[in-house]
Amino acid sequence: MSSIKILEEGDNWIRFLVEGISPAYANMLRRTLINDIPKLAISKVNFHHGEIRQGDDKVYSSSTSLFDEMIASRLGLIPLPTDLNMNFRDTCSCGGKGCSLCTVTYSLFAIGPKVVKSQDLIPVGDEKFSPVDKEIPIVELNERQAIMLEAEAWLGTAKEHARYQVTSGTSYKYHRELTVNKREPNIQRIIENAKKNIVKETENEVTFTTDYPNKYLAQLYRMDSLKVTEDDSKFVFYFETDGSLTPRQVLSYALNRLKTRLEKLRDSVPGE
Amino acid sequence: MIIPVRCFSCGRVIASDYVRFKDKMDKIRAENKREPTPEEISTTLDQLGVTRYCCRRMIISQADLLQEILPFD
Repeated sequence: MSSIKILEEGDNWIRFLVEGISPAYANMLRRTLINDIPKLAISKVNFHHGEIRQGDDKVYSSSTSLFDEMIASRLGLIPLPTDLNMNFRDTCSCGGKGCSLCTVTYSLFAIGPKVVKSQDLIPVGDEKFSPVDKEIPIVELNERQAIMLEAEAWLGTAKEHARYQVTSGTSYKYHRELTVNKREPNIQRIIENAKKNIVKETENEVTFTTDYPNKYLAQLYRMDSLKVTEDDSKFVFYFETDGSLTPRQVLSYALNRLKTRLEKLRDSVPGE
Repeated sequence: MIIPVRCFSCGRVIASDYVRFKDKMDKIRAENKREPTPEEISTTLDQLGVTRYCCRRMIISQADLLQEILPFD
């Protein structure tokens, strides 16, 4: 039977141990984490072209130093908080036209001189959809430039485009145990600095695990009495999210997604 | 040009980290009247959580040229 134990986690990263699975299953989980998590991202941008008038006959140009395509691409890559209860656009009850169940609208208006940041991107309607990271520069404007646009965001998965990618640095490795003799020089220093990594300590030997990263463990590989054991049914996973979802949300979605996909596969195999 | 929003290789959002990195480097330059040392650059990136070398190269190799072309419409 397989089980998951969360080793460490932060606001936007997680490290966990999965026991009792095959390498194929571990890779399946990794690939699901990378490209099968739905995420909200700006997918359509309408730019205002022409003069922008503001206040007492001040006239701004709407052409900026970056091409519109590039600004649209940058807007798409900004992480937006995602509500997993939203519908995908193609399966929504609105039939793909775009409604409040599947689409979030944003507006951006800024006049120069200014560095336009992601905090200037205002959601139309619910305030909870404003970008998680407020400091991302989008474009810089000089004193004769202004930008005005309207954008639509909807759900997608990273299979379609990189802007829908929630996780980064998704990786796994075998659970590994390093056993060394206690008579090795400097071993006391490693024991003191890597207390978390010690699995077993006897009179003569001490066993470390590489589940938690620790720079002191590198010294063990130079020791003559080192014995390395790897277990190909225990995997240490690590991934980061971009803030649109929490690591736990991503993990539980991925596990449910794997389950439904495997069930679908089993159901479609004939002659069961 | 302008800092890319995400790391080209892994997809981590690095644009906001770059802004914080630049502020820190400017602070070191102003306080000590010298260029930041490699150790200072390395620890700043570690503190920002930019640990993979794909993301580190995005920040270290960035040349802000958008300001230079800004006066020309």
